[in-house]
Order: sequence, then C-alpha cells, then structure tokens
Amino acid sequence: MLNYGLSQAQWDPFAELRQLQSQMNRMFEGGGRSQRASDGNWPPVNMWLGDESVVVTAEMPGVGKDDIDLTVRENTLIISGKRNPSTDDEDAAWHRRERPHGEFSRSVRLPLRVDPDKVEARAKNGVLEIEMGRPDAERPRKIKVKAS
Amino acid sequence: MANEMQKTGGDVARSEAEETRDTGPTFRPATDIFEKDDVVTLTIDMPGVVPDSVDVSVENRSLTVRGTIEAPVPEGYRRIYAEYAPGTFERAFSLPDTIDADKIDATHRDGVLTLTLKKSEAAKPKQIKVKAA
Repeated sequence: MLNYGLSQAQWDPFAELRQLQSQMNRMFEGGGRSQRASDGNWPPVNMWLGDESVVVTAEMPGVGKDDIDLTVRENTLIISGKRNPSTDDEDAAWHRRERPHGEFSRSVRLPLRVDPDKVEARAKNGVLEIEMGRPDAERPRKIKVKAS
Repeated sequence: MANEMQKTGGDVARSEAEETRDTGPTFRPATDIFEKDDVVTLTIDMPGVVPDSVDVSVENRSLTVRGTIEAPVPEGYRRIYAEYAPGTFERAFSLPDTIDADKIDATHRDGVLTLTLKKSEAAKPKQIKVKAA
C-alpha cells in the first residue's frame, strides 16, 4: 500500500480522493487475500517501563481471553494463541479477507528479568495488557553506610 | 532489539496511516466481508476502541465506520517501544443497491466491530410459480 504521508516530494492532493474512490469501488469485489497470523509478528506490541516493572500491551482484536496463552521466563514473554476466522461456514462467499487468523506465537524480549509470580494480565476491547514485576532479589536496594 | 527500541509511530500494523493535527493518525482497519444467503457480514478490527465511541453511519449509500482508539498510558510508566499508536480508525464502504440500508445491525466485542447487512426484499431471488392455464 502506498503511504502518502511519508514522502513530501510525491505528495498529491488528489491521491487520497482516488484512493478512497478505488477503495469504495473494490468493496464487493471478490478474491480477497487471506492473511495468516503465524508470521511471528502478530500481535503488534507496545512496551512500557516503570521503576520496578514492565508493561507490554498488545493489540489482539477478536481473541477471547480464553484463547490467549502467556509464558514468562526470565526476560522473555511469549504471547501465543489462536485467532478464529470471521466465519467457519464453508458455504459463505468471501468478498474481502484482510484480518489475519489462525495460530500465532510471538516472543518479546523484555528489558529486565521478571518474576513469573508477579505477572498480571488484563484484556479490554481487544487490547491485552501484561504487567510484569521484577524479582525481589533484583530490585535496586539502598545500602546504609555504617560508621566504623 | 536495540534498534527496534528506537522505533516509534504506529503505521506498522495498519495500512495507510495519515497524520492529522487534532485526532492523531487515521488508520484503515482490517476488514473481512462475507456473504451467506441474504446476509452480508462485515468484521472490522478496531482494537482499543470503546464500544460506545464507535460511530456507524450511512449516507448516500456510503457506509462509514469510525472509532477513536483509547490508549491510556499505564500510570507510572514511560513508553520504550511501540508498534502501534493511538489515533482513529476510519473506513468507508459503498453499499450495493441490493442492501437494505435500514436494516444494519452493529455489535462490538473484544475490539471487533461486526456489522450485519440484510439484502433488500426486492433483491432476493423469487420463485415464480407457473400456473396451469
């Protein structure tokens, strides 16, 4: 897909209009390409760092919380599961198929080691939030200087 | 990973992102469209959109869906890596004449908007009985 926002030199004010037009024309066109979710880059993630913990958020629309598997080991988080297709009906006629589906597994390297007992995951509106805390032993500690 | 950490912005996961000043970038959501009997179903990925804020409108046989992504920053955290960004999902579809624009159902679940469109009575195949003369 062309991204008109990136290149100033080739910016064409009518490009967007044409794009919209062709997009609308294509709506009920057959033969949509099927996409698989299993290329290791799905779901897309954001990562957030706090003082004692790290948060990974992932966009996983259409994946129910029972279909998500999370594995945490040292500094690696693995998000895996299965995304169901829009319909299983073989008699249905497809006009467009853009949403990835199938099994997926994604490994995310974290900037710190985390304690598997300090993992909390929440799903809301198709976004999964995983909060992971540092092991107690690895927290930065204040050391008192004793008078000798 | 060190390189990836530098990456910001959100046009990675979605196509055709475009910056606007007020609402952030606009994304075209991935959509499935399939047809069975007299029902056409659209499944539209809108992760991070609150169901109440989804806007579905029909005007001049053009169906537009819009939703603002709510992506609150986890409190006490700073972003160190990003593959998707807040903004607005928007996409327009043209409705064929065979669709009854007054009978569109919309549901939103787990970040997926599902629209159910019915074919108009006039477009349904009709069996014409041959009468014996």
